[in-house]
Amino acid sequence: MKKVLGVALGILTAIGGFVDIGDLVTNAVVGSRFGLSLVWVVALGVVGICLFASMAGRVAAVSGRATFEIIRERLGPKAAGANLVASFAINLLTLTAEIGGIALALHLVSSVEPRLWIPVAALAVWLVLWRVKFQVMENVAGLMGLLLVGFGVALFLLGPDWGELMRQAVPPSPPSTEHPAAYWYYAVALFGAAMTPYEVFFFSSGAVEERWTAKDLTMNRANVLIGFPLGGLLSVAIAACAAVVLLPAGIEVSSLSQIVLPVAQAGGVLLLALVIIGIVAATFGAALETALSSGYSLAQYLGWSWGKFRRPARAARFHVTMVVAILLGVGILMTSVDPIAVTEMSVVFSAVALPLTYVPILVVANDPQYMGCHVNGRVVNALGTVYLVIVVVAAVAAIPLMIATGAGS
Amino acid sequence: MTHERIVDARLHLLSRQVLDADGEPVRAVDDLELVGPDGQPARAGAEVRVGAILVGPVLFVRLFGGAVPVSRQPRIAWEDVGHVGTAIELTVPSDRLDADWVEHWLRDHVVGRIPGGRHDPEADG
Repeated sequence: MKKVLGVALGILTAIGGFVDIGDLVTNAVVGSRFGLSLVWVVALGVVGICLFASMAGRVAAVSGRATFEIIRERLGPKAAGANLVASFAINLLTLTAEIGGIALALHLVSSVEPRLWIPVAALAVWLVLWRVKFQVMENVAGLMGLLLVGFGVALFLLGPDWGELMRQAVPPSPPSTEHPAAYWYYAVALFGAAMTPYEVFFFSSGAVEERWTAKDLTMNRANVLIGFPLGGLLSVAIAACAAVVLLPAGIEVSSLSQIVLPVAQAGGVLLLALVIIGIVAATFGAALETALSSGYSLAQYLGWSWGKFRRPARAARFHVTMVVAILLGVGILMTSVDPIAVTEMSVVFSAVALPLTYVPILVVANDPQYMGCHVNGRVVNALGTVYLVIVVVAAVAAIPLMIATGAGS
Repeated sequence: MTHERIVDARLHLLSRQVLDADGEPVRAVDDLELVGPDGQPARAGAEVRVGAILVGPVLFVRLFGGAVPVSRQPRIAWEDVGHVGTAIELTVPSDRLDADWVEHWLRDHVVGRIPGGRHDPEADG
């Protein structure tokens, strides 16, 4: 029974963890501009994150080594250092966006200026990191994040023309009003949002935090194979809501209130309230995950002791890193930069950093010294190699597309 | 009978995680100090062995060049190493290692002083 509960809660975690402010914003923007013509990218991203998160989880469970220790060990201090700088910067941008996202969501319900909510949100994030047990933290955020199912409910209540939605999705047919370069720019952004490296840093370190061993591999697989696809479905529901309501009206998403507009139109105040709680929980969960990931990546690169399962005093540098990251995030937000814009930047840059994270995972998952009999099978290796090619293409294309399209405008 | 195995310094030692006697992470191996068989500085053409694991500032030397004065170079003596696996396991607790002084300083002066800093998160819900 305990095992079933463990799997169930793990799945919820994955859903809550997958849909963060980056996915919310990018999916809504894409839905409002391109309809469902980019759904294939979400599917591609979900398969990719399933593949590499389960690999990273398996490596952590069998060898006890989390992802960034492996990156350092395989790439050496220089290449891993470059990856650390890039990942840490993206992590910081994402953390900034998530804290901003919490503040924006709270602003929607309270109409108190978001800048007043930012310190409150940041303090709450730190208190949870400081005091709350890892499992409790994961499960509460994951469970409440499930309220985002409200987007799916809203889609059904809107009663859209399903045939038309299908026609947009297969075969993908971008609206003729949009430039192809913008289409591909958003394809890369969506892919980056789905496969953000912090998800594997968090997932693999979480496996160490929960003291997984080779016995927990089934749980690892179940978490990944059910959680991430469900998260993907939520993403599609968000995009579909935007495609049904915002696309015909010609509204381009630039604020959180526009993202939830279809929900308010379909389900009224009650559904809106539930969805906003879901957004607060999902962004709060993601803020925790990105703050932890900034500590995980730096601590694992330098070999410091890390983890929430230790007393804070036994992982002093790890906790100091997280406090500094949160303070930097608050500092960035206090310049009154738009969190939505920060989010859009961070997902594109995460596409650039993907290869440096995913190559070492694939290499170590094939190393019998680490993995014993649990090395990758042929199918996983074949898929992994295909994905490496996709990841490299996306990474190379990201910056030129960003410049060519003026960040998609 | 002891099993002999070949350890490739670059592959199996450098950048590996170092764990103390309790399994707590200490540092990653940033560099290795090679000494002659008699403990004297290594000489070209002569036999050498690993004298110590170097951590800390030497990492920046490897990344950017330069040099660290020997007296400022945190090291973990090779005699303290118990086992070389996917991590390098020491036979001493980290509290006895000078190489970990930053962690100890932050623990005693910053993190340990914040309320709840010594609270065990696994102890309650």
